[in-house]
Formats: sequence, C-alpha cells, structure tokens
Amino acid sequence: MSNVAPVSDGSQDLRVIRVVVNGETHTGMAESRTLLSDFLRHELGLTGTHVGCEQGVCGSCTVLVDGELCRSCLTFAAQVEGSRIETVEGIADGDELHPIQRAFQDNHGLQCGFCTPGMLITTRALIESNPDPSEAEIREHLSGNVCRCTGYAGIVAAVQQAAREIASADGGGA
Amino acid sequence: MSVQTPQHRYVGERLVRVEDPRLLRGRGQYVDDIDLPGMAHAAFVRSPFPHARINGIDVEAALALDGVFGIFTGKDLNHLAGPLIAGRNDYGGATLGSDLLETKRQLLAADKARHVGDAVAVVVARDRYLAEDACELVHVDWEPLPAVVDANEALSDDSPRVDEALASNNIVHKDFETGDVQAAMDSAPHVFRKRFHHGRCHPAPLEPRGIIADWTTGADRGVTVWISHQMAHLMRTYLSELLQMPEGRLRVIVPDVGGGFGLKAHLFTEDVVIPLVSRALDRPVKWIEDRYENLAASNHAREVFCDIEAAADDDGRLLALRMKFLGDVGAYSPVPYTPWIDVGMAAKSMLGSYDIDNVGYTTDAVLTNKCPTGAYRGVGQTVGQCARESIVDDVARKLDIDPFELRLRNCIGDEPRVNPIGPHHYDGGSYAECLRKARDVLGYDELRERQLELREQGRYIGIGICNFMEHGAWGSKTYRAHGADRPFIDLVRLTVEPGGSVVVATGLTPNGQGHETTFAQLAADALGADLEQVRVVQADTERTPFSMGTRGSRSGVVGSGAILRAAEDLREKMAQIAAHQLEAAVEDIEFGGGKASVRGAPSQALTFREIAQIAYFAPEKQPEDIGEPALVSTRSYDPDPTYGNGTVVAVVEVDVKTGIVKTERIVFVEDCGVVLNPMIVDGQIAGGVAQGIGQSLLEQLAYDVDGQLLSGTLKDFLYPTAGDVPSVEIAHVVTPSPATTSGMKGVAESGIIATPAAVVNAVADALSPFSVEVDHTPITPNDVRALLRAAQASSQAATT
Amino acid sequence: MPAAAGAVGMKPAAFRYVAPADIDEAVAVLAEHGGDAKVLAGGQSLIPLMNMRMSRPTALVDVCRIASLSGVSANGGLTIGAATRQASVAASPLVADAWPVLTEALSHVGHPATRSRGTFGGSIAHADPSAEIPAVLLALGGEVVAKGPGGERVIPADDLFIAHFTTDLAEDEVLTEVRLPRREPGVVSVFSEVVRRRGDFALVGVVAVAQMDDDKRVRSSRIVLFGVGEVPFRASGVEDLIRGQQLDDSIVAEAARHAAQEIDPIPDVQGSVEYRRELAADRVGLALRQLTTQEGVPA
Repeated sequence: MSNVAPVSDGSQDLRVIRVVVNGETHTGMAESRTLLSDFLRHELGLTGTHVGCEQGVCGSCTVLVDGELCRSCLTFAAQVEGSRIETVEGIADGDELHPIQRAFQDNHGLQCGFCTPGMLITTRALIESNPDPSEAEIREHLSGNVCRCTGYAGIVAAVQQAAREIASADGGGA
Repeated sequence: MSVQTPQHRYVGERLVRVEDPRLLRGRGQYVDDIDLPGMAHAAFVRSPFPHARINGIDVEAALALDGVFGIFTGKDLNHLAGPLIAGRNDYGGATLGSDLLETKRQLLAADKARHVGDAVAVVVARDRYLAEDACELVHVDWEPLPAVVDANEALSDDSPRVDEALASNNIVHKDFETGDVQAAMDSAPHVFRKRFHHGRCHPAPLEPRGIIADWTTGADRGVTVWISHQMAHLMRTYLSELLQMPEGRLRVIVPDVGGGFGLKAHLFTEDVVIPLVSRALDRPVKWIEDRYENLAASNHAREVFCDIEAAADDDGRLLALRMKFLGDVGAYSPVPYTPWIDVGMAAKSMLGSYDIDNVGYTTDAVLTNKCPTGAYRGVGQTVGQCARESIVDDVARKLDIDPFELRLRNCIGDEPRVNPIGPHHYDGGSYAECLRKARDVLGYDELRERQLELREQGRYIGIGICNFMEHGAWGSKTYRAHGADRPFIDLVRLTVEPGGSVVVATGLTPNGQGHETTFAQLAADALGADLEQVRVVQADTERTPFSMGTRGSRSGVVGSGAILRAAEDLREKMAQIAAHQLEAAVEDIEFGGGKASVRGAPSQALTFREIAQIAYFAPEKQPEDIGEPALVSTRSYDPDPTYGNGTVVAVVEVDVKTGIVKTERIVFVEDCGVVLNPMIVDGQIAGGVAQGIGQSLLEQLAYDVDGQLLSGTLKDFLYPTAGDVPSVEIAHVVTPSPATTSGMKGVAESGIIATPAAVVNAVADALSPFSVEVDHTPITPNDVRALLRAAQASSQAATT
Repeated sequence: MPAAAGAVGMKPAAFRYVAPADIDEAVAVLAEHGGDAKVLAGGQSLIPLMNMRMSRPTALVDVCRIASLSGVSANGGLTIGAATRQASVAASPLVADAWPVLTEALSHVGHPATRSRGTFGGSIAHADPSAEIPAVLLALGGEVVAKGPGGERVIPADDLFIAHFTTDLAEDEVLTEVRLPRREPGVVSVFSEVVRRRGDFALVGVVAVAQMDDDKRVRSSRIVLFGVGEVPFRASGVEDLIRGQQLDDSIVAEAARHAAQEIDPIPDVQGSVEYRRELAADRVGLALRQLTTQEGVPA
C-alpha cells in the first residue's frame, strides 16, 4: 500500500530517568515530553495508575512525588528525575490490604475501579495530613478526583472508616 | 424426579465484592494496560468544522515522519468494510423504529465531514506522541458548508441537508394515540402546556473507549480484539460480518472496563478501522480515545425538545396527556440502535404509573451537524420522566394541590396490568406506597414549614418529586414490543470441575456492576455450594457462551435466570450420583455447604469434589441411568420485561443572588423486586443519582450557533464531584416480580431515570415565589439568574 | 480553504527540557530560544495546554530545581519565591499571620493535587483572569521581581497584567520573587468567589482590602474583581466611591451597582455579560459588608 511508510529505526530525544517507585529503584527512558503517567505505565509497566483525561481534571492519575500529591498527567517524567514516587501498587503490605483499601471494599467505594487508584492515593495524603477529617473536609479534599460510578457516598464512608482504623491502630501501637 | 432447592445463604446478603482486591491493588487490567510485542499506536485526524466538503487529503509530509508506519483515509479503507447501518437486523441489534430512513456511515468521512470531531484519517505510529505529531502534518483541503445546529431548524425544507442521500433531515416519525386525546382536552376544565428542552448529555465513563486489534495472516489467520465494551459477543458478530472473518477466527476479549453507561454498547467506526489497519501493517495496533475525542465524537445522548399538554379536572385528576418529542440526534445514526431510541423511550415512559385514559405522542428524530447521539444509561426514560413530572408539578401548583397528593390521586393500582401505551404488561409494583414512604422518610410536612420559614429569611429551598418506573430486563419480548422482531439470546455455562470448583461462564460483559460477586452469590445458592468454590468467567468470546451483553438493566435478571436453570440441571445430575453412592433416594438428597447429603442424616454426605471425582473419573460408581455424566449445563434465559418503580425526592437550595443550586438531599425509595445484593443495588442507585444531578445542573455539551463544540474539555463539561452530591437516603420496598424466575427486576438505571425530574421540579419549587418556568436542562446558575432577571423585568413592566 | 488544524490529541509536541541550576542559566536558555521557550514551574496550567497542543514551546526551562526560587520570608512584608509551591504558601504561618486573606484565597486554588505542584509565581505569570492568586497580588498592591538578560527589575502589580494570559514579563525574563507589603494597622481584607464546583476557576470573585479609620470610615482601599474580563480588574470606581465613607447599606448597594457597570466581562458558556455583572455586584456587596465586621491589626 502506498500509504505505508518504509521501516525506520528513528532517533528520539531520549534521556535516562531514575526514580524510586514504591521503595524500588527504577530506571527507564523518556523523551523530554514524556508524561510521568506514560512513563510509569508504559515504560515501567506500573499500569495501576490510570489516565482519564490528560487535561489535569479527573484525578485518576494521582500519585505521590516525594510525599506530595501529584497529577502524573500534568508532570513530565524529566521533572521527577531522582524523586521518590508512590503509586497504588505500593499501598498494600504484601498480601494484606491497607486499611484504606479494606475500607473501600467494605463500603462499596468502587465500582468500575478506574478512579480508585487516584482516590486511594489522595485519601492516603489526606489521612496523613488530617487524621480525623470531617465529612466536609473529605468531600473538599477529594473534589479533584472524579468518580462516575459510585455517587461518592461509599467513598466518603470508606475514608471515614479508614481514618478511624488508622487512628486506633496508631493509638494502640503508641 | 424432584430435586431439592437449597436454602439461600448468599442471595440478599450484603457481601463485599470479590473483584475489589485486584482493583484496589492497581492490578486490574484495562485495555490501555495491555502491551503486545510490536504494537503500534493510532491517532485520528478529525474535522475542525461542523460541516465541510473534503476536497483532498495530503498525507505525504506526515508519512515522511520517522516512526510513522502508515496513514489511512476513507479512500484507503471505506471499500474494505462498511458502511455501518443503524437498525439493521443483521447487526444483532434492534430495529427500534421500523419507519427509519436508513443512514449509511462510512468508516472514515471521505466526501464531507458532518460534525466537529468527525474522523477523516487515521495515523499509525511507533507511539501515540508521534502519531499525534503526524496528525498535525496531515493536510486536509476543507471547504466549509453551512451547518444546521438546531433540530427545529433542521426540520425546515431549506435547512442544510446533513445526509444528502436522504430526502429529509427527519429520519424517523412515529405517532400513537389511545383514547381520544383531543376530545378530552376540549372538554377538560384545565389544560396545561409547556415546552421542555432536555439538554445534551454524555455517558462520559472515566475510562474513555479503547481497542487493540491483532490481525494475523496465513494459515492461522484471525483477529484478536481487546476492547473496552459492554457486549463482547455482539462485537464479534459485527466484526465478523464487516471484516468477513468467520467468528471462529475472531476473538473479542473485554478486559476490565472503566465504566460504560451505554456508551460502550455501540459499534463505532474506530472499532472497525483499527482491525483493518492492523491487517494493513501486519502488527497489533492500539487506539485509546482521548478525552477531547470522547466529548466531541463519542456519542452524546438525549437532546430532546418536548411539547407537553396535560388536561385535568378541578380535583387534579389527569384526563389526558399528549407529548411531541423532537430529538436532535446529531450527524449519524448510532449503531446498532437508531436515533429513535431516545425519543421512542421518552414516549414509552411518558405515562409511568399514572392512570390516564387518553394518551398520545409523536416522535421525530432529526439529523443535525453535531455529535451523533446514542445510548446513555436510562435511554429516553429520563426525558419521559422529566417531561411528565414537570407538567404534573405545573398542574399541582396552578390548581393549588399538594404535589404528593396530586400524584396519589392519579396513581395506578399495584397489581400487574396492561400498560396502555406499550403492548406489554406492567409486572406490578408499589406505586402509591413508594410515594407515601418517600414522604415519610423526607419528613415532608416539617420540610414544607421550614421552606416557608427560610423564605422569610430570603433563602429558597425547593422540594421536587418524581414518581418513576424503570423499564428493565430487556429481552426478546421487550424488543418485540418496541417493534423490533429480534430474538435475544443469553447463555450461561455452569460447570462443576473435577476438584469441585464451580465455574460460571457468561458473555454478559460487566463494567463495574459486580457480576463476579452477584453471579457467584446466585450460583452458590442455586447449587448449595460455598461462595469460595465459585468462580465467574466473563466477557471473552473464546471462553464464554454467547450473550447479548450488559445494557438495559438486564444482566442481573438474565444472568440469574440462566444460572438458576443450569444449576437445576447440575443438581439433578449430582443428586443422582450422590443418591447412588449414599444408597438413598434422589428425592432425599439435599444440597448445602458444598455437599450433597441425605435428608435427616447429615453425616451421610458427599462433597462436590467427591461427586465430581465420580462423575469425571469413576464410571463404575455412577448409577446406570446417569446418561452423560458431565457436570456441565449451558442454559439461556429470556425474561419478560420488568418495571421497577419508586419515588425520588430532591431537596435543593437555590441562591437567588448567584443562581447556584445546591442539592441538599435525595430521598430514594425503590422497588426492584427481589434484591440480590443490597450493597450493589444501593451503589447502582447512588451512582445513577450522581449522574442525574450532573445532567440536571452541571454537565453541558454546548455548541455555538455555527456548530463549534464549546465543551471539549473537562473544564467545560463539569462532572459532579464529591461536594456536589449528597449521600442518598435509600429505602426499599420489595414486590417480587411475577415475570422473572428470580423475582428480580432491572435496577441499574433508576437513579438516572428519576433524579433529573426530581431536581428540575425542586428548582422550580424553590423559585415558585418568582413565577418563573424551569423549562430545560441543565439548569446552570447563569440560567437561574436569567429566569429571575426576566421575571423581575416583566413584573416591573406590569407595575409600570 | 487552507487546512485549519483540527484539535489533535492529548500528548504534547516535542520540546527540549532544560533544568538549569541557577537563574542566570535559565535566563540564558530563554534568550537562546528567542521567545519560543517557556519557563516551566509547577506546570499545572501550562501542561494541559501543551497536552492539547494549544501551547507548543520549543524548550521548557524548569525553574523548580533552582533552590533560591523557593521559600517564604517575612521582612515587614512578605517575600515569596516564585517557585514556592502553592501548598507551601497556604501552609505558611508567616503568610497566615501577615495576610490571612491570601491563605484563605489559596484554599480555593484548584485542588490538593494541583496546589502541591503548582507554584505561586507560576499562577501569576500565567495570568488567568479567573485565577485567585493574581487577584490577591493586585489587591494587596504587591510587586514582582523579574530577572532577564539586562538584570533585575521590579514590576508593581498594577503594571503587571496586560491582557488575557499576558503579563509585562518579557519572553526572556524569569519571575523570581513576589513581594507583598506589610499589613498596616487598620487594614482589613475579604476574599469571596462564586464557583460552579469546589476548586473550579471563579465565575466571578473579589478580593477587597481596605484601611479603615477609627470611626470605621474607609481611608483607602483596593477592590479587585476576577473572572470579569481580560485581566484581574481593579474596581477603581468603587474605590473612589467608598473612600472616606462608612460602609452602610446604601453605600454598599451603590458600590455594588457601580462594580457591575465598570467591568467589561467576556461572555462564555458559563455566564453571560449580564450574569457576570450581577455576580460582580453581589460579591462586591458581600465583600464590603464583611469588611465592616473585621478587625485590623492594632496600631
């Protein structure tokens, strides 16, 4: 077919990116323009982080970079060279679901599961900064994360349960 | 021979979902998570114009880009497959509306583009970034044409013609009447009229559409397709026909799906283009829809103008109801459905649980130069409820009758009965009871007092009611009733494996509904197995038997019916084996706890594993009359239609200074018959409510007068977020359906079917002191202020 | 007809990423690209535009690795490094003490996940007319420092915002810091906005700052509306009207009417000109009433 291009290897503006993801050092290649979401998903194979808009609105792609919330579709991989990144894959402790994950299951805080990784990461950041959030604070904190399935009630209940459980576990351990 | 039915252990229980752990760990697998060796990535060149002749497409510069594998236009692909024709029986869809003017859609627009976002070429490259670079270098010689953007204008003879092969932009007209509407209107003491514009909506699942096609040639030729979809087997049927590939060489796999809501129950042109370019380039090709494409070119839904007339006597008894539905259906027919679905379902649901003798409607569906419209959760039914409930509240207000009371006066009885505007029966429900219960849960009288108190303080709350019906469990009979003589078939295969595991294999294709859990609950109870023994396999044409897919609130009912039948077959076979081994009568064998035991002697028992070992490996231990010992049964179920019902009440507060509407409460009383898993039912309701609030108040797909889309990003199309949706107060009434084996009714759409009408009515109620008419969705703050400004101007004009 | 570029995709066009170690290097890279390069800070406004290919710089100069550009310090007023994350400014006790109205405004800027990346200076340089931070800067009468090939210069907020998404910053200048004045005794301030949803850009918002006399008369004020036109808008008519006045009901009502008339809103899907005028009146009225209930720092 005339509209099929000849085979070529091409040469790109590639750089090596080294990051620590969920405690493990990863090295991968990225163009200057490679979004962190694409780098995590397609270069490192960590597909738990989802991409719902690439317009910086839906929150599905939220990860933690050096402990801070970050929309990975609004960040270039090059910007986080050398950073510590946490994704949904790092939340559970081995076989054991994290209390936040368990709370989402208990409260039907997910249906299709697509927004869930972003919700979990955002919840984790909330509970770390505010161990006893009110319902209004939870709704405000999650306002940048869209869920199209649940109507949010299950998510809000899950965050409340998770906060309670984490607080009582911390209290018990202290 | 009669084999015992086991006790329920799981059905009706609030069990957490078995699919959750993998999704919570980020170990789900959605289409874009799949990576194949050598895979290339596609991006589409789309029209920036609403209507434009294509005088030529120059791909040379784009093709020269390093890493671009191929670029294809309509000239390259349209002769290979298609066109797509909506409503054709052989697509296995539905000919809803047989008077349809047939529209033919080419895979890629070749002569002219008909809406902003219409695809004209596809680029395939090493990665998506590069594919998009190349899209920018594709030079299209456009010749813009006048566009028609409004359905009312599209009806006129001198309107631009969207499809030049057709004699009119109006591609389907139907009307219906029962009783004598005009006579009733003429003699009624009160007649009410209004025009209501139901705005464009979008299912907008959080995961956009996406497909990977891997076409292999040679002796093992075949196509494997991974697609984010709601109907794995029908997709195979469509592709088999279009690609002229035998079904046996076509495999469609639907992995985890990030929401569907009807959008993914269509056949889109991209679904055919991607396999074709995979063949042309001899490598797997992936296309993931981006959010702009999703908003501009995936199907919109339910833009309908409703002209409503209602006649009532002095007591508010409704004597006649007539509606004209004019659908603005966009540039193409949705496949396999037709553009009649929204206006048609609006019409079919306009009566609901009201007892009115004289009812009539007309429906028209008109092509415009906007994004095509198709199925979105609650197809048409949302529009029908909005139109009816809105005029019902007008009647109540103008006759000064309480809106609950008016609805009770016009409510049908609970028994199954003929639906006067549809040929099939209502299966009975709790129409008045739900109204009363909603009033109680709400604390209605106190709330009305509070409303008056707040008004004194300049605060305006409103209470809006919708007494609704949900038409669910779509099957052959439903389609036939809608004029589509097309059988539905859904098979479920139930197997007891040699080790005693139970496998449910179904082609129903979930996208968040939790089938892995609910079908396991059903199968475990139906067999007397432990839940942990059961595994549900779904949505892969090579591993599951045929199904028409997950849509129209049908999967729970259809799946349960087939599972119950297959389980009965397996129990019979297993009882024979157990009875023979335990030296008991077949009639005395009971199932439960993963065992078959002898009634009254629970220690005399065989586990499923022990029975299966005999069935598979020990012919000498089988009874002589066992026939085939295989512990497998494939059964189907084609239900009668079901009608869930309920009452939703919305309480809103309108800030009359800013026009901002806040939804304070949603009370939702629901009767969906027997409940399989209340947690999942409540989740379906709550999710639908959120979508209903979104489409009533926030979500907008705006076009300017020239046909340019103004809502191409999520900064413009506003999803409801956590602060916009209250926690829904849900209450249940249970009227088991006599129409289905399980007593269940479809439920997945009720939230979105009912909530918009309640919200619209609540806003109207809040603004009732200002004499404004709320006549469209979405009701934006800008619109609220415009209504109040106009009312103020006219009252000032009246006083001067 | 020549090909109009259709909207394409969600991946940015190619560019060169540079992360200079200091400001001089950043300025040099910008100069080298002659206007085709852009400063990258948090990227929360720029990257969506790049993903949609509505912005296509040939190079991005990432200033977030330049340590001297981050941090908040108090020196009578406040000095905020341009690349300080919005979340850090929002959490800063120095800011909460000096200008609580800024802390309040920051809680309305986007969402937690954008505030943690988005920078204070980035929002100012982006100059979205519906954004909160530029409006606060203008209302507080702050100034920014820019460094270019010719050295440093200070731009008062009043001269900074030129047009839609356009500031007085030259293409080869880097915004280095933002300076806010000291809060004088008797100064009170209010932030209020109308949004469709939490975290959205404002339909209309107001930042009102006033210095009050002992008898509750307005000595001077800066009333800034945002979401009402090309740039954050100083309602100087309102300022003139309330100068020397006690903010009683009639003056507030008159000021609100005045605000509605002196703006020049741009209609869009979210709101007509009329609607935005009504919102401006509503917010100015609300802000002026709230000013009277506040206590400034004592003299």
